[in-house]
Amino acid sequence: MYEGIQYPLRDSLKLAHTQSWEMISSAGAFWTGKERVAIVAEARAAMECPLCEERKKALSPNQVHGEHWGPGTLPDALIDHIHRIRTDPGRMTKSVFEGVMASGISKEAYIEATSVINASVIIDTMHRGVGLEPPPLPEPRPGEPSGEINADAVEDGAWIPILDAPKEISDTGLPAIPNIVRSLGLVPAAGALFFSTFRPHYALTDIPLSITQGQAEFVASRVSALNQCFY
Amino acid sequence: MLLRESAQNEATMPNLNAVTDDQSDAGVPNSQTLRQLSESLIKGEWDTLALEREKATATLGLQQTTDVLTVASAFNGITRVADSTGIPLDDTTAAATDEMRKNTGIEQFEYQQKSSRYDSSG
Repeated sequence: MYEGIQYPLRDSLKLAHTQSWEMISSAGAFWTGKERVAIVAEARAAMECPLCEERKKALSPNQVHGEHWGPGTLPDALIDHIHRIRTDPGRMTKSVFEGVMASGISKEAYIEATSVINASVIIDTMHRGVGLEPPPLPEPRPGEPSGEINADAVEDGAWIPILDAPKEISDTGLPAIPNIVRSLGLVPAAGALFFSTFRPHYALTDIPLSITQGQAEFVASRVSALNQCFY
Repeated sequence: MLLRESAQNEATMPNLNAVTDDQSDAGVPNSQTLRQLSESLIKGEWDTLALEREKATATLGLQQTTDVLTVASAFNGITRVADSTGIPLDDTTAAATDEMRKNTGIEQFEYQQKSSRYDSSG
């Protein structure tokens, strides 16, 4: 991964992304390696989906109906979620999540899919950032999902149960484990995949990059605003 | 909001109005370069991105240019985790940023408000 790169990407980041790609190709807790790779393929197809393009132009994405363009090997409600979160995250609403639940997909499987989609978003975006095409899809590996969940996850205001964690405030002004880190906590392997991909990119304090913390916060805040993210 | 709370601890805290107002000075070095580079990446404007990368490299150097793209890539993913899970603001952040959210227009991104806007017009 990142062969031929002309930009000085850190070795720790390249290694983390390579390992994440391998993790995606293997069975997780609720999806097989083949299904997880299909989730990434569907997320990439979303970027060229005419229905998504029409929805982005509409006042509300829910005014436009039709079929998504893509491999189409996953359940329809999950495909709709993948396309919406990939192409129009700022207008993602709870009704989309509820549609996935109504289709019979469990919260646990939804969380794992969310992790796979967004780990791949980071990896693909980083490739584009440094002028490379996204990497080829990994070859799926055999194996069955483990079914492992965190039975101690709690309801705490999100759409799904999240990691139970103390709320004492750290010197960052945030809880030691912020809500976003708790968000995938119902499925430990999902949290591990996403945050092992994310961590080499950013830190709340003493950021180990050549830009200042203030510059990093500005970039991060600007991206959040572009994606219309409340959190 | 997570990072905005963090930013309040910084000596070089960005001007948060610049997050949603293109005309505001962010108050951090080379903010216009950071803005243009990260925006072209997140908007998927690859030709523009190539130009912005060249300009940024001339201004910031290769390593800083790479690191701006590194942070932007991460937040292109983590914002989608938040939007997929409806994760609420941490309590302290919610209390500390109430006025700022209203002033900057970020409040309109709140999940309940999005549902009111988009789910009712389907």
